[in-house]
Amino acid sequence: MTIFSLSEVRKTFTNGEVEEEILKGINLSLKEGEVTALVGASGSGKSTLLTIAAGLQPASNGQVIFEGHNMAAMSSEGVRKIRASKFGFVFQFAHLVPFLTVEEQLMLMLDVSESKLSKQEQKREVNRILTSVEMDHRKNAYPSSLSGGEKQRVAIARAIIHKPKILFADEPTASLDSKRSKDVMALIRDLTKTLNITTLMVTHDEEMLSYVDNVIKMSDGMVLQNGV
Amino acid sequence: MNIAWKEIKKNKVRFLILGSIVFLVSLLTFIISGLANGLSQDNAALIKDLPEGQFYMNKDADETYNLSRIEGDLQKEILIKQKDAAAFSIQMGFLNDKDEKQQSVAFVTSTDSKLFKNVKQGEIILDRSLKDKGINVGDTLTNNQFSGEFIVKGFVDQKKYSHAPVAYINMENYKEIYRVKEMQLVFIPGEDSSTEFTGLQSFSNKDFLNTIPSYNAEQMSLNMIVWFLVVISGMLFAIFFYMMNVQKIGLYGILKAIGIKTSTLFKMMWTQMLVITVIALIMSIALSQAFNMIAPEGMPFYLTFETTAQLSIVFLIIGFIGSTLSGIQIKKIEPLQAIQQGEA
Ligand SMILES: Nc1ncnc2c1ncn2[C@@H]1O[C@H](COP(=O)(O)OP(=O)(O)OP(=O)(O)O)[C@@H](O)[C@H]1O
Ligand SMILES: [Mg+2]
Repeated sequence: MTIFSLSEVRKTFTNGEVEEEILKGINLSLKEGEVTALVGASGSGKSTLLTIAAGLQPASNGQVIFEGHNMAAMSSEGVRKIRASKFGFVFQFAHLVPFLTVEEQLMLMLDVSESKLSKQEQKREVNRILTSVEMDHRKNAYPSSLSGGEKQRVAIARAIIHKPKILFADEPTASLDSKRSKDVMALIRDLTKTLNITTLMVTHDEEMLSYVDNVIKMSDGMVLQNGV
Repeated sequence: MNIAWKEIKKNKVRFLILGSIVFLVSLLTFIISGLANGLSQDNAALIKDLPEGQFYMNKDADETYNLSRIEGDLQKEILIKQKDAAAFSIQMGFLNDKDEKQQSVAFVTSTDSKLFKNVKQGEIILDRSLKDKGINVGDTLTNNQFSGEFIVKGFVDQKKYSHAPVAYINMENYKEIYRVKEMQLVFIPGEDSSTEFTGLQSFSNKDFLNTIPSYNAEQMSLNMIVWFLVVISGMLFAIFFYMMNVQKIGLYGILKAIGIKTSTLFKMMWTQMLVITVIALIMSIALSQAFNMIAPEGMPFYLTFETTAQLSIVFLIIGFIGSTLSGIQIKKIEPLQAIQQGEA
């Protein structure tokens, strides 16, 4: 079942006098519970596409349809609410909040998504997720004392603690070595499968494709090939 | 979750610096304001301690009480009509103590009234500051223009005029020293300001204070310093929060990306402003009040809780405006900026 789709999405950037169309009419759809990888040459527009899909920047044209609603037509407050409760993000860098402990990062995310759980239940949930990313032993640590891989695992935990419908990930393993990358990929796959989260992920790394259900190949702002 | 407080706890040094600047500036403001009040007290406590009312002086006096003469008949008429009214005069002069040392004083005399000390002929009541100069009850004092002697009957607290201690003398003695028959001023206590008398000009307490030469100039410059400090502290707030916010653009972007409302970020900033300002103010209030108590005798320092409270509220408002102005940039931050910025 399709939970999320883009139709005829275009994005134009103006650099001084030059107008450049970076996305030239993108159509794609994500099936519930599946992991979709977005691949393509550098500069082909993958990150731009992902951030538009995630509601982090508007499209110049076209529709972004999530659960039957066109996000492109929503107010920024409407989009913010979706980001807070229905989406999760992981980027190349963890982007953790420097003054919060690992546990607090996740508690904050539950706060932001207006979780209905009691404080007790929230703590238990945080512990459960931290255990699954094998970070429960560092729950009182601040980001500055974590390694790159540990930070990324916390970022993944933060991205899914509120049980989002969709997880967006932009090269989540780019800052990690190959062993760590595989661990993180396996983690994303396992977690999204058990929680039934739909995933859209940009990757450069061919090796990562063995962990995904679909691959979408992009070239020069267009979808080249849509399949496995 | 209180992220505002969590950030303060994690970045103690940064907030401590801001807090200590607020503390120092507000302390300085309190001290200067205490001095301004002290000086004004030193300059005109005699007048400032009077209840609200109306001062009357001769229209021809050109708003200079020294030149004013209230006609004897008119004075009688007013005093009969207004039971609480008093006619009085102030003149700067000198007293010689037993060692022939001269003391500068402000001679004050008045008709029978509760608002001023009344003494018999040949008696004198002095401001307590003269006691510290070695004058005691029972001492005899002289004046070059006065044929007799004054016997010190007692002391009063905090009665100063034009930076000189007040000396209450009998009206007959006053008339002899200054060779006048009339009083300079009439004071009628009470809120009613409508009463007019032909030939007399009326002044409220505040207006009258401003006719005193030096009082106005002194207060104006001190108050200007106080308000400059307040404005400077507002700017400090704005600049400091601006710098902190610039450093935190990435953080704000990421918080916005995960869905935190902009209003929550503003609340976070306001909470931090409030926590820091309140702590800094409590400390500077405590210290300035302590200074109020231990200020050396000769230093005119007078800081009421009322003044402190007023200034504190101004500081809070200024801090709020300063941080909000610098916070407007938060509104403009795009979540994407942070993500494209790299490691945070
Ligand atoms: N805000 C922007 N303003 C102007 N041009 C932009 C902006 N963001 C992206 N671009 C341009 O859009 C093109 C696609 O960028 P994008 O980041 O989407 O590529 P990508 O496929 O993610 O590349 P990479 O694999 O290197 O991350 C690039 O040429 C880039 O310069
Ligand atoms: Mg990219």
